[in-house]
Amino acid sequence: MLTQASRALIGRRLLQVVPVVVLATFIVFGLIKLLPGDVAVTLAGENATDQRIAEIRHLYGLDRSFFIQYAGWAWNALHGDLSRSLLSGEPVADEIMRCFPTTLLIVALALVFSLAIGIPLGITAATKPGTWLDGSIMGLASLGVAVPNFWLAMILVATFALTYTIFPATGSVAFSANPAEALRHAILPATALAAGGIAEVARQLRSSLVEILSSQHVRTLHAKGLAPSSILWKHGLKNVSVNLLTVAGLLANRLLAATVVVEAVFAVPGMGNLIVRAAIERDFPVVQGVVFAMVVVVIAINLLVDLLASLLDPRIGRR
Amino acid sequence: MPATKDESKKLERAAAWQPGRREFLALISGAAASQALGLSAVAQGTPKRGGILKVAAPANPSSLDPATGGSGADHPFLYTIFDTLVEWDFETLEAKPGLAEWHYPDPNTLVLKLRQGVVFHDGTPCDAAAVKFNLDRVRQDQRSNLKADLASVEAVELGRPNEVILKLKHADTALPLILSDRAGMMVSAKAAQELGKEHDRKPVGTGAWKIVTWADNDKVVVTRNEKYWKPGRPYLDGIEFAIIPEVTTGLRSVIGGQNDYVYFLAPQLKPIADRAKNLSVVSGPTLYCIQLYFNWSRPPLNDVRVRQAINYAIDRQAFVKATMGGIAQPAAMDLPIEHWAYDRTVAGLYPYDPEKAKKLLAESGYKDGLSINMVSYTDQLTVQKQEVIIEQLRKVGVNVKFTNGTIAEMSAAFFGTEKKGEALLSAWTGRPDPSLTYSLMFSKDAYYNAGRAEPPPGLAQALDASRLRENIEDRKRAFATVQQLVMENALVAPLCFQYELDAMTSKVKGYRPNLLGKPKFEDVYLEG
Repeated sequence: MLTQASRALIGRRLLQVVPVVVLATFIVFGLIKLLPGDVAVTLAGENATDQRIAEIRHLYGLDRSFFIQYAGWAWNALHGDLSRSLLSGEPVADEIMRCFPTTLLIVALALVFSLAIGIPLGITAATKPGTWLDGSIMGLASLGVAVPNFWLAMILVATFALTYTIFPATGSVAFSANPAEALRHAILPATALAAGGIAEVARQLRSSLVEILSSQHVRTLHAKGLAPSSILWKHGLKNVSVNLLTVAGLLANRLLAATVVVEAVFAVPGMGNLIVRAAIERDFPVVQGVVFAMVVVVIAINLLVDLLASLLDPRIGRR
Repeated sequence: MPATKDESKKLERAAAWQPGRREFLALISGAAASQALGLSAVAQGTPKRGGILKVAAPANPSSLDPATGGSGADHPFLYTIFDTLVEWDFETLEAKPGLAEWHYPDPNTLVLKLRQGVVFHDGTPCDAAAVKFNLDRVRQDQRSNLKADLASVEAVELGRPNEVILKLKHADTALPLILSDRAGMMVSAKAAQELGKEHDRKPVGTGAWKIVTWADNDKVVVTRNEKYWKPGRPYLDGIEFAIIPEVTTGLRSVIGGQNDYVYFLAPQLKPIADRAKNLSVVSGPTLYCIQLYFNWSRPPLNDVRVRQAINYAIDRQAFVKATMGGIAQPAAMDLPIEHWAYDRTVAGLYPYDPEKAKKLLAESGYKDGLSINMVSYTDQLTVQKQEVIIEQLRKVGVNVKFTNGTIAEMSAAFFGTEKKGEALLSAWTGRPDPSLTYSLMFSKDAYYNAGRAEPPPGLAQALDASRLRENIEDRKRAFATVQQLVMENALVAPLCFQYELDAMTSKVKGYRPNLLGKPKFEDVYLEG
């Protein structure tokens, strides 16, 4: 059961959602409207006339003032209607419900790769500080951070999808339709995303673990004759777990943002592709909808991280 | 198969060589095409029924209702679901019967005689009432983007059974080809009325396939129309379009085997497609004209000599070689050589002549050169074209400065109310009837006449004349005058016609490119 402290935390976070969503969507809406370019011209088609463009502006309410347009969107959103794409007419909520699972699978898989590979690397480096092994792991980690994910994505496609056709070069399959195929499609994009994540987890874990392992209380544990493995697992890792959790939370948020680039390389119809296309075409209901969804997701991830942290370190919940 | 030096040379020669219409026809039908153009021909065999064609499509449709959509990239989707009243010849774009045959009993009346027994996907008949509903919808519906297409139609009436009569405000022989495009795509009246806006996403036509799903930016899936009226067609059980905006990625999806066919490839991708195993590449000229649009309402481009100087200063052969990998046709006007209305007398108007350009500039008072602000787009291939234009014009003393942005942004800035820049480097995607091409760009109030400037004397009359007579020779003569007026007055600087470039796996057979450059799949079948 949730403690009172946890419930209070959830309550505070839920209250935060409202102002953050309003602020984020308002700023994004303003940016779209500030940018030059006009969705009415696109909507009017190839044989556009000035008259038809004016008609379309009126038809879609694009001739109303900025604040009225935003208020109209916000009012509908408040009633659970994210309205429809100006260009394709598909309800924005449907688009998000379709694209989000695809992005989520890639991000989740990338997070699993980051942790599953980054943690052992970080521990290995931390337990052998200053050795060649530590040096090589940290060197690799620097490389992982430095390599742009779109470049790595293209190398992965060239190698594992075109030269050796092990994985598909493009596209996605819904996890609910065929889990195995969905994973096969997600592996390359997730790997491209995870390179930076693995490096970050390894570096962060190493530095905090090295600090703990060289602290006075660990020296005392050694003096008491505790086995090194016991010191590492029971005392070292437990102490860095909150740190690691924070890193994982931040990483999850960053991976979500990074999908914009990776989804383009792999032609994955996810949230990144959705918002890029909508922003280019000034399809503001879609942009607003995606921003709204992303704000909610990021706040939810942060909340989850805080709740888990308070479980790992009960002092946090009491603060 | 890797591109050999020989093949590259053939391509260069192909770019320099401009076949006449007759030669082109011969080439298209014969194996000579593959040799002379250095392009792979698609082997023909006995068509087989069955299978799903997986297509990498470069853009999400703007709508699947022909009347409410707006993008030129919608057609490959629309052609699968809808038939048109009039069709066109793949090689020359001459009009031919589709859902209807037509005749003009007098210049102000067009009679459509409908094919009998055609039904929509929802079972309702595509009869005279349905056609009248469609034409009225195109002309009057609030959401129709096509009102201007049928502006010459006064009324649509029902005649004898299976006949629809279009009463015209004035003679308009462009209508048959206009009806080969969006305006002639017949939607089910029942579906359009019952579904309303939803018809954009759940279209009902008479086409060879019917819609299954459209997931935005992801997939469009169509399946066989068992009651299709063309005997034996379609061969394919269905088509799955995967929306992949990046054509390079689309090509990768075909090389990697996720898709069978990709279209609208950039010429720069041809060597990559050629290198891939088991891939064939087809290509053919299209109406898609890369060009400099001018704002000729204000200085310096309101001076015809400056506009002519720019036309003389551009070396189109070099432009094609440098920016299109040699796979394009240098443009002398807004119609390619293969088009039925192409006029040879205009073709020689602006040979590459930098000296003449300098002389014209000096005469117009720019002896020491001038600066021109142009607008264009940020993508890499367009920027490459800008670099060539800057360099070529610099040689005659014209300093060009480009301001770039997205297509939506810069097109609106140039053609819309802002009137940014003196010229726009962009493209004209072409229209089935050339009268649309010219009236949409050069009429006084046309949106694509950026300055809304008065056209040269005689152009409006010549355009009217092009729609006056039905006889194709008469129309050719009228278009010759239109093209002469446009190019003598240098209202535009056409640069080159882009080739349709498509790649497909070896199991895809029967595909033919067309001059409009928008793929149709009804002859396509899968082998193996």
